[in-house]
Amino acid sequence: MTVYQRKSETGNNLKVRPANESYLIINLFLAGVILLIFAYSGFFSPDEDKYPVTCIHEKITGEPCVSCGLSHSFSLIVRGRVAEAYKWNIYGMRIFLFFALQLVLRAAFSIFYMKYRNTRKQLIVIDCIGSGIIFIVAFRQFIVYIISGILS
Amino acid sequence: MGIAALITAIITFVLAVIPCVGLIAIIPGIIAIVLASVGLSQASRRNAPRGVLVAGLIIGILASLISLSQLFVAGKIAKSADKWPDGIQNIINDVQDNVIKDLEDANISIKVESNGDKVEITSNPEKENREKTLENLEGGNKEKNDSVPKKK
Repeated sequence: MTVYQRKSETGNNLKVRPANESYLIINLFLAGVILLIFAYSGFFSPDEDKYPVTCIHEKITGEPCVSCGLSHSFSLIVRGRVAEAYKWNIYGMRIFLFFALQLVLRAAFSIFYMKYRNTRKQLIVIDCIGSGIIFIVAFRQFIVYIISGILS
Repeated sequence: MGIAALITAIITFVLAVIPCVGLIAIIPGIIAIVLASVGLSQASRRNAPRGVLVAGLIIGILASLISLSQLFVAGKIAKSADKWPDGIQNIINDVQDNVIKDLEDANISIKVESNGDKVEITSNPEKENREKTLENLEGGNKEKNDSVPKKK
């Protein structure tokens, strides 16, 4: 594990181990989960259509939901077939970009966290607010779908 | 414990918003709540920091609620889908009633020809009159064999 040298407020050098930092561990795990999603999309071929995850919503209601075809769409995006991906799920690209952006942000925020000790709290706050806004923008249609389903 | 709870809660939250897999999210949601609760009870004994645990608990509860709402939405849609056969049945019943009513109000004329004999029965539009006519006919020809004679 890499050990980073940092100076404490009193001026003493302190060893910063990423393993002891909750924020870094969470970032690492989330990045791992996102990479797993991309691996899942890359592993299953959109032409064979043998995805293990099926829509439970469709099984119950008998009607396709707003997120149906998302796995197919992701697989196509990973293979560069973006135009086809839009046909499977119109929001697929947006969700995919959210995960891709989160992967970059996890790496970037982790680096900033280790480098700039004095701004750690602000960094976490910015991360929470920023990720929250990006999440709402990316998943807006799904959230609207759920809310409209409850209200109707 | 707190990190595990928070990571599970975040993953659950993302899953819960996707309608296809939103219902499954209740399982990791419960796990996140249990982990955060156990962690909080341990932290209270040791006077350890609780920030991550509280965040995990809040996000876990929120994600579980969203997941439960998915069940509610799916149930609503399934219920409305179940109403379709009832609607079709109602339409069939209406058509059947209309046909019967039309037949009751219709002028019915029956002509029977046998060995040069002609019998003509004309019914009035009203059902009662038709019944009366039928009764008269039956009463007047009780002893008469009205069956068609077999050809030798």
